[in-house]
Amino acid sequence: MATYARPVERLITELSKLPSIGPRSAQRIAFHIVRGKPDDAYGLAEALKEVKERIKPCRRCFNLTEAEECDICRDTRRDDAVICAVEDPYDIGPIERTGEYRGLYHVLGGALSPLDGIEPEDLRIAELVERIREEGTKEIVVATNPNTTGEATALFIAQEVADLPVRVTALASGLPVGGDLEYADEVTLGRAFAGRREL
Amino acid sequence: MTPYLRALRLINFRNYADDTVLLKPGLNIVVGENAQGKTNLLEAIAFAVTGSSPRTPSDPEVVRWGADFARTEARIAVGGSGQERMVAVGYAPGQKKRLTVDGAPGPALSAYAAGGAGVRAVNFFPDDIRIVKGAPSDRREYLDDLLSILRPAYARAALDYAKAVQQRNQLLRRIRDGFSSERTLATWDRKVVDLGEQILRGRDEAMPVLDEHFASSLRALYGPEKAAVHYSHSAAPEDYAEALREAHDADIERGTTSVGPHRDDFEVSLGGVDLTTFGSQGQQRMATLALKFAARDHVRGVTGEDPILLFDDVMSELDGRRREFLAGYFLESTQAVISTTNLEYFDEEILRRAQVVRISGGAIMETTTDGVMERVAERHGSFRTA
Ligand SMILES: Nc1ncnc2c1ncn2[C@@H]1O[C@H](COP(=O)(O)OP(=O)(O)OP(=O)(O)O)[C@@H](O)[C@H]1O
Ligand SMILES: [Mg+2]
Ligand SMILES: [Zn+2]
Repeated sequence: MATYARPVERLITELSKLPSIGPRSAQRIAFHIVRGKPDDAYGLAEALKEVKERIKPCRRCFNLTEAEECDICRDTRRDDAVICAVEDPYDIGPIERTGEYRGLYHVLGGALSPLDGIEPEDLRIAELVERIREEGTKEIVVATNPNTTGEATALFIAQEVADLPVRVTALASGLPVGGDLEYADEVTLGRAFAGRREL
Repeated sequence: MTPYLRALRLINFRNYADDTVLLKPGLNIVVGENAQGKTNLLEAIAFAVTGSSPRTPSDPEVVRWGADFARTEARIAVGGSGQERMVAVGYAPGQKKRLTVDGAPGPALSAYAAGGAGVRAVNFFPDDIRIVKGAPSDRREYLDDLLSILRPAYARAALDYAKAVQQRNQLLRRIRDGFSSERTLATWDRKVVDLGEQILRGRDEAMPVLDEHFASSLRALYGPEKAAVHYSHSAAPEDYAEALREAHDADIERGTTSVGPHRDDFEVSLGGVDLTTFGSQGQQRMATLALKFAARDHVRGVTGEDPILLFDDVMSELDGRRREFLAGYFLESTQAVISTTNLEYFDEEILRRAQVVRISGGAIMETTTDGVMERVAERHGSFRTA
């Protein structure tokens, strides 16, 4: 038996399907919407609809875009000899904000994980290899997450392009800048030590 | 001066509602009847200084029945001249554990356990006899726990290695059942080997040192026969990658990874006899103690500081001569907290030099120092929470 009127129950159910929203938050959000101004709710509904209708993956790099190709791919000032491979579209933002990288991207769509049934075919690895061949890419920077699945994915990509004339690099795992050494977590600091360089 | 634990407050920890125990350097004896909370108290000390329970991987178990959180607060004497560090561990089921050092958010759990709290712990619970008597996994756990409190990077590598092996195992089964090709197998091999080598390096470095410490501890505890621990690799580090490759077919068939540090073992022997298979109950128990003492010596050798010793119900099942030896050993330690149901195991002289903590029904009843008893309740006021 439902506790609330059916439309409210439906809203709660839909909300609780979202990541990191449990049944209690779903209920709180639902009641916030029920109590709130109609325009706010319609605005949200409209935004959801628009995003699903207008946003699609870039045909070249699989970043999210409204056009056939994303802004980054269409930007002719960018260096198209370098591709940075990331797991998800939201990994692009932080790299862009560094202002250090002027190449292109390739969104893999996740990382290899037998436990989750994720195979190379489920990722855009073949598309990446194809791109490198076609675009004559000189360097590919693998910026997958620094965890087991991300690192395995990086190793796999390196292995897949081993026969191509392309350089494969990975991000250095270093220390957070601006923080004191004292506050760096031990694993990060340990890795930074392992990757120390000549001065 | 080597750090030690000065006081511990337990809030909703197991059968303790809210109580504080005061401890001294040297020997502390927790005494009480069965089921009063002796083991729980030792567990709480370990929880306070390592951030997790050595008895259970399931944190909710330590929360007092009916309560919605558990918390320990420890005052650790660091350096001379009364300098103190206050470390607290708070846990509420469903939430992230909260570690604080002097009121500020503490380091990651692995770093907290590896000295981040200010002091390390080596503990003995009666069930630990399985290190000698039990399965290879029990012995590996002993090694991994010890190396983890020395190096957070080892703890991390061990965790990541376990994950990589799990992934590889799942891949093997998927290949066997036709859901995956073998394309990514070499990739997971590499990941497993990279991480596995870090573990092997750590273990290979520690083993000869542990062997020496173990031999001398067991000699003192048991007798002159030659005691030894000897590590056996399922694959030597230099052949590891090759061995894993050679195992492909067999591994796919069985759906598990057959070589690597997760399959290794070490032999515990006395006078050339394997104690796992042939040891008497007493021999196994003493060998377990000697392994714990070896761990203490190794921590001391690497860090220059003694870990505190938490030994639960260690005197029972031992004869008088060995009890006397142990009491002396603990008295000479920087700090040892041991539990017993029976004070008669200790002679006058030892009781005079030790701090005795009497507990009953999840409460500290009294502490006795230099033969003088004192109600603990009166001291609560002096304990400040950060
Ligand atoms: N989470 C919990 N909340 C409340 N009580 C608990 C909890 N976990 C265990 N207990 C109880 O605490 C009591 C004391 O346990 P403990 O193991 O510390 O006894 P002990 O003094 O070591 O006894 P023994 O001499 O038999 O080893 C037990 O009766 C146990 O049921
Ligand atoms: Mg007990
Ligand atoms: Zn694009």
